[in-house]
Amino acid sequence: MRSFTAAWNRFFFAEQSPTPIALFRIAYGTSVIATLWLLHPDWLAWYGTHAWTSLPTMQALEPGRRLNLFTVIQQSDPWINRLFWVFLVSAILLTVGFLTRINSAIVFLCLTSIQQRNLFITHGGDTFLRLAGFFLIFAPAGAALSVDRLIRIWRGKQGTFLRPRSPWAQRMIQIQLALLYFASFCWKLKGPAWLQGTALFYIYHLDGLKRFPVPAWLLHPTMLKVGSWSAIALEFSLGVLIWVKDLRYILLALGLLFHLSLEYSLNIPMFQWDILSAYILFVDPADITRAWERLRGCASGKNGKPLASVQV
Amino acid sequence: MKKQTYWNRVQLDRVKRVAINLFLGFHIVFMACWCLPLDSQWLTLSRNFVRPYFVWAGLFQSWNTFAPTPWSANSYLEAIVVYQDGSRQIWSFPRMEQLGLSERYFKERYRKFSENLQNDKNDALWPDVARYIARANSTAANPAKTIILIQVSSVIVPSSEGSYRPEPWDQHVLYGYGVKREDLQ
Repeated sequence: MRSFTAAWNRFFFAEQSPTPIALFRIAYGTSVIATLWLLHPDWLAWYGTHAWTSLPTMQALEPGRRLNLFTVIQQSDPWINRLFWVFLVSAILLTVGFLTRINSAIVFLCLTSIQQRNLFITHGGDTFLRLAGFFLIFAPAGAALSVDRLIRIWRGKQGTFLRPRSPWAQRMIQIQLALLYFASFCWKLKGPAWLQGTALFYIYHLDGLKRFPVPAWLLHPTMLKVGSWSAIALEFSLGVLIWVKDLRYILLALGLLFHLSLEYSLNIPMFQWDILSAYILFVDPADITRAWERLRGCASGKNGKPLASVQV
Repeated sequence: MKKQTYWNRVQLDRVKRVAINLFLGFHIVFMACWCLPLDSQWLTLSRNFVRPYFVWAGLFQSWNTFAPTPWSANSYLEAIVVYQDGSRQIWSFPRMEQLGLSERYFKERYRKFSENLQNDKNDALWPDVARYIARANSTAANPAKTIILIQVSSVIVPSSEGSYRPEPWDQHVLYGYGVKREDLQ
């Protein structure tokens, strides 16, 4: 029991550099901005007063009290448009790290509101952004690589040294990502098509999902079987074995390849990037510092000047 | 005085740590119970217990994309718009395979929505959709009178050697809606 408590405390509370969570904040904010930009031509078609689904229909289909700003604001198209602009500005401010805590709360509230307003157009990437956004509110996401930090340094409230922080909120986002993979693995085990290795045949012949053409040799039954089973094995590994330090970078690299191949072949905009944004949280802060130092070395080698004197 | 302030801070830190630990334990256990597809009475009970909070806070989740069984048919939705003057027009949801690369990026939500509309479980959405189509296809001179939603589908069947030959398309009427005057406002 004592060793469990010690491991728990080490995992959630041993202080570490806030750089990974800051990098995640930037990737997360960028994903939210891109999602909003892609939705922009249809903001009112999906969420307006004369949208595809009305608010009362949505509430009847998905009952229960929900955090949903659409139930609070005036039901008129100008007000709904304003909500989206506030959301977009807040997402930009979160990405640059200005008033980070407040903006992470606003982004979460707006994101969960638009999803609750129309749950029939969301995909897994949107769901992951919503869940990660909840835990991001509690994280020291503005402690590094942010306007907030620059202001604190400028005001003399903080030196250039980066104070380590307790990573418990970052760990929750990591656990959420691992849970996503493990649950996907469990769902696939329930499907005969996945176990027989024919699932990818159906997926790659769905006309509405195709993006770029997949080479014919990859559509051979044997390759599709290998692909279906590899997907199951990889999802198990990314859900469970990702916590084994020695396997982590190999699995992250395989996961990256897996998502990039899906991004190439399937048209599910932003899904892969939403998920990949959280991979940075699994990178050791010391390795990020090393990579940054190497980058600085390369840049100063070229220009004769250091890239930046502030610790990331 | 100073000693008391220090002691208060230590106490506060302790309370804070206990609260964070409870928060972490609660969320880890119930997030797992919520999304893992295991059948057990205990899991059902725990999901029901936590449902009001998860639904309110937006912590509900399910990770069953393409699982347990991926869609085994190509399908899309069309609507027959019957006008006041008796004329007809076929209206179709944006079909990704007919769009350019960037358009597909912007319009993919229509594919997702259309996929959900084809599920009988979501039939409560059909009247809203019919009204939207009526509004989008009416003019003051010739308003839409009836909307008929049609599912067009073609099953995906692997041939014996594993290749794919598209099957013929089938049509299935999902819903018919008589448009009212107030629907067009």
